[in-house]
Amino acid sequence: MAKAQTFTNNQLTIDVADEERTITVHFLGKSILRDPNDFVMPILLRTLGEAIPARKRIVMNFRDLSYMNSSTLTPVIKILERARVGEGQITVEYRKSLKWQDISFSALVIFQTPDGRIVIEGTD
Amino acid sequence: MSPELELRVASDWNEVGRVNQAVSEFLSGCGLPAEGVDKYTMVACELVENGIKYGHFSGEKDVVNVRVWIAGGTISVLVSNPIGNYSRTYLSELDRTIQWVRGFQAPFEAYIARMKAISREPLETDKSGLGLVRITYEGRAMLDFYLDENDTLSVSAVSTLE
Repeated sequence: MAKAQTFTNNQLTIDVADEERTITVHFLGKSILRDPNDFVMPILLRTLGEAIPARKRIVMNFRDLSYMNSSTLTPVIKILERARVGEGQITVEYRKSLKWQDISFSALVIFQTPDGRIVIEGTD
Repeated sequence: MSPELELRVASDWNEVGRVNQAVSEFLSGCGLPAEGVDKYTMVACELVENGIKYGHFSGEKDVVNVRVWIAGGTISVLVSNPIGNYSRTYLSELDRTIQWVRGFQAPFEAYIARMKAISREPLETDKSGLGLVRITYEGRAMLDFYLDENDTLSVSAVSTLE
């Protein structure tokens, strides 16, 4: 049975759903946090720590985020890099039809791996 | 008359949400498409975040002033705040970052370079330095700043309306 947890800080909500093959980290609302390292980073680190031994893929879903400050991208970048050089499997999902999401998230393609462990995916 | 928005913002992080809302509504009211509204709201919010983080506020009269206006096919965002002695490091960093970004042929290259640098930093480092680079890349804005005789720092971002 899937385990689900919800974390909220200011206007940002993060839903984490642990399922059979994936752990989905769903970002909703607006992220205008002053210190995303204190809120977002522990959630992502814990998720990565659980996903690797269970051989689960993390799906970071940003499609329902309406605004994100640049500081929020920092923990995402660091987790992608940690997974890239290690054994993690991560898919970043964003809404391609939202121009700001396309510009911000498509640049993360530099962390994509040829073996498909790290995937950056924009869909409509 | 050119449309213009002026906001006085207290040095309280919760004010960033108010700025986000106010700038977004102003730009929508000016008839900008959603894409432009998102883009220039981001520019204003990133500058206000820096103003609150690195400004020096000694009383209620010390605030971050925000001006957004559209004229002659350009949109300008000007964010001003008082600075103190401890803000000098930020001032040097601001200057260095602006010069650094100008050294790239395209802002995208600077954005990628900054992301790569962040990825190599320790997990506990919470400073991203990505905001100004994002303003030039995503906001397609020219950044500049000046410091007046009253130690008020003004940072401007000017973009051509697309």
